[in-house]
Amino acid sequence: MDIFSQQLINGLTYGSLLGFIALGYTMVYGILNLINFAHGDMVTLAAFLAITIAPLAVAAGTLAMIITLAAVVVSVCIIAILLEKIAYKPLRAAPRLSLIVSALGAGMVIKNAIMLIWGANPRIFPRNLFPAGLAKFSDISVSYLSVIILLLNILVMLTLYIFINKTRVGIAIKALSTDYSVAELMGVNVNNTVMIVFLIGGGVGALGGMLIGASYTTVTFSMGFDYGIKAFIAAILGGIGSIPGAMFGGLLLGLTYTFCSGYVSSAWANTVTYLLLIILLIFRPNGLFGRSLVQKV
Amino acid sequence: MKRKLLIAVLLVFCTIYPIFANSAWLTIGATFFIFSLVALSQDIVLGRAGVYDMGHAIYFGMGGYIFAILVTKLGMNFFAAAFAAVFLPALLALAVVTPVIHLRGDYFLVVSIGLNFIFTQILNNNPFRLTGGPNGIFGIFPAPFMGINFSSSVFIYYFAFIVITLTIAIMNNFDNSRYGRAFYFIYQDDLAAASMGINASYLKQIGFMMSAVLAGFAGVLYALEYSAVSPETFSVDQSITFFAIVIVGGQGSLPGVLLGTFAMFVLPELFRGFADVRYLIFGIAMVAMMVMRPRGLMPTKYGFYPKKLFGGDT
Repeated sequence: MDIFSQQLINGLTYGSLLGFIALGYTMVYGILNLINFAHGDMVTLAAFLAITIAPLAVAAGTLAMIITLAAVVVSVCIIAILLEKIAYKPLRAAPRLSLIVSALGAGMVIKNAIMLIWGANPRIFPRNLFPAGLAKFSDISVSYLSVIILLLNILVMLTLYIFINKTRVGIAIKALSTDYSVAELMGVNVNNTVMIVFLIGGGVGALGGMLIGASYTTVTFSMGFDYGIKAFIAAILGGIGSIPGAMFGGLLLGLTYTFCSGYVSSAWANTVTYLLLIILLIFRPNGLFGRSLVQKV
Repeated sequence: MKRKLLIAVLLVFCTIYPIFANSAWLTIGATFFIFSLVALSQDIVLGRAGVYDMGHAIYFGMGGYIFAILVTKLGMNFFAAAFAAVFLPALLALAVVTPVIHLRGDYFLVVSIGLNFIFTQILNNNPFRLTGGPNGIFGIFPAPFMGINFSSSVFIYYFAFIVITLTIAIMNNFDNSRYGRAFYFIYQDDLAAASMGINASYLKQIGFMMSAVLAGFAGVLYALEYSAVSPETFSVDQSITFFAIVIVGGQGSLPGVLLGTFAMFVLPELFRGFADVRYLIFGIAMVAMMVMRPRGLMPTKYGFYPKKLFGGDT
C-alpha cells in the first residue's frame, strides 16, 4: 500500500472527525452568533464518559456498544442543554463578548472537571466499542473504523440536511439563522429551537468524541480546545451556518493537515493549516460555500 | 476626592512595598505589574479599538523573545536590546494585522487564535537555533550599566512600577484625547464612525501598534524578572486569560482591568493549597460574572459627555 492512499484515508478520517465537531459550532453560530468554546470540551467529555460507561455495559454482551453509545450521547445532550440554560440563555441580550467569555468559562469548567474526575494523565479508550480489523480493497487495506467514520459522516450530513430543509423544526432553525428577530416575530419558538440546536450539536459532537477516542486510542482532558478550534476553522472554511459546508470544511482541513504532516513536516502542519485559513479568509471572507452577507446598518 | 485619596494610598503602598515584602512576594508584585501591563495593552485593542483579538500573547512573547535573543545570542547591552524589543513588536503587529484588519469580529478572533498557534509553533520549532525550542531561552542577564544591576528584583519591581504608573496616566489622558474619542466611536459602531469620516482601519492599526509597544515592554520586564522565556508563557491559553481579564474587568476600564489581573494572577498565590481546582473556580466565576454583570466588574462610564446632552439618563 502506497503512502499516498494511506495519507488520503488518514486525512479523510481526521477530516470527518473534525466535521462531526464542526456541525455543533456551525449550527450554534448560525443562530446565536456565538462561538461555543465549550463545545470542544463537551466532545472530550463524551470520550471520557465512554471510558467509564463501556466497562459497565460489557455485561450486557453484544449490545454493549449500542448501550454505551446511546448512554454517552444522551448524557452529553443533557449537559449541552444545561450549558445553554445556565451559561448562554441569560446572556442573549448581553454584549457579544460577554457571551464569548461565558462560553470560555464554561469550557474551562468542563475541562477541569474532567481533569479532577478522570485525572490529568492520558487515558486509553476502550477497544471493544467499535469493530476492529481491516477491510481489504484490492491492495489497499482500510480499518473498519475508518469506513464506519466515513459512512457515518455522510449519513449524519444527509440526515441533518433533510431534517433542516424538510421538517417544521428544521425550517424554524433555518428561519432563526436567516433573521433572528423577524423569525421570532413570526412566532418561531426561540427557546425550543435553540435547545434542539444544542441537542443536535451535542449529540453529533458526542459521537465525534467517541470516534476520536477509538481512532487515536488515547484521550487527554485538554484535547478539546485543539479539536474545537480546528473544527471551528473547518466550519468557517465551509461557510459558517452551512451544514454541508461544515463537513466539506472538515475534510479540506483534515486533508491539508494530514498531507502537510506526511509530506512536509509534522512540526509545521499546524502553521500551514492556520495560514490556509488566514489566506482563505482574506480572499473569501464568507468561506467556500457561505452565502455572502450584507452588513446591515 | 475619595478617588484621589485611594490612588494616593495605592501609590504610597506600592512604593514602600519592597521594604516589608520578602523576595517571593516582591516577585509576585512585579509579576502583577507585568501582567497588568499586558492586560492594559490588550484592553487598548479589545476595549477601545473594539477588535476581537485573542492572540495578544504574541506581542508579549515577541518583546520577551527579541530581548532574550539580543541579550544572550548577540550580547547586546540592556538599552539597545530593550529598545528593539519594545518597538519591533509594533512593526511586526502592523505587518501581521494589516491584511486581516477588515475581517468581521469573530473571524478576526479565530484568525488571531490561529496566529498565536503559529507563533508558539515557531517558538517550539527553534528556527535557526534562535528560540531554544520548547525549553525556551534561559540565563537572560544583561550586563550591568553604571552600577545598575538590571536583574535585581528590587530594580525590576520599581522599573515595572514606574512603567505601569506612566501607562495608566497616559491611557487616562488618551481616553479624553481626539484619538481616544475616535476609538470610542469605532468601538461603539465602526461603520457609523467610518461614515463620519473616521478612518477605522487606520485607527485600529494604530491601536495595535500602541498595544504591541506596551506588550513588548511587558515582555522585556518578564524576561528580566524570570531571566528566562519559554513558549508556554505566550500560548493561546495565556491570550485567552488576558482576553477574559479585560471582559470580566470591564472593557476600557482601567481599575476593572487591574482588578481582573489581580484576581487571575495574585489571588491564586494566596490560595496555593487549592491549585488543582483553581481553573475550575475561575471558569465558574467567569460564567457567574458574565451572567450577573454582563458589562464586567467595573464597567466604564464615558464621562466626557456633558450630561445635559442626554437628558441625564446615561
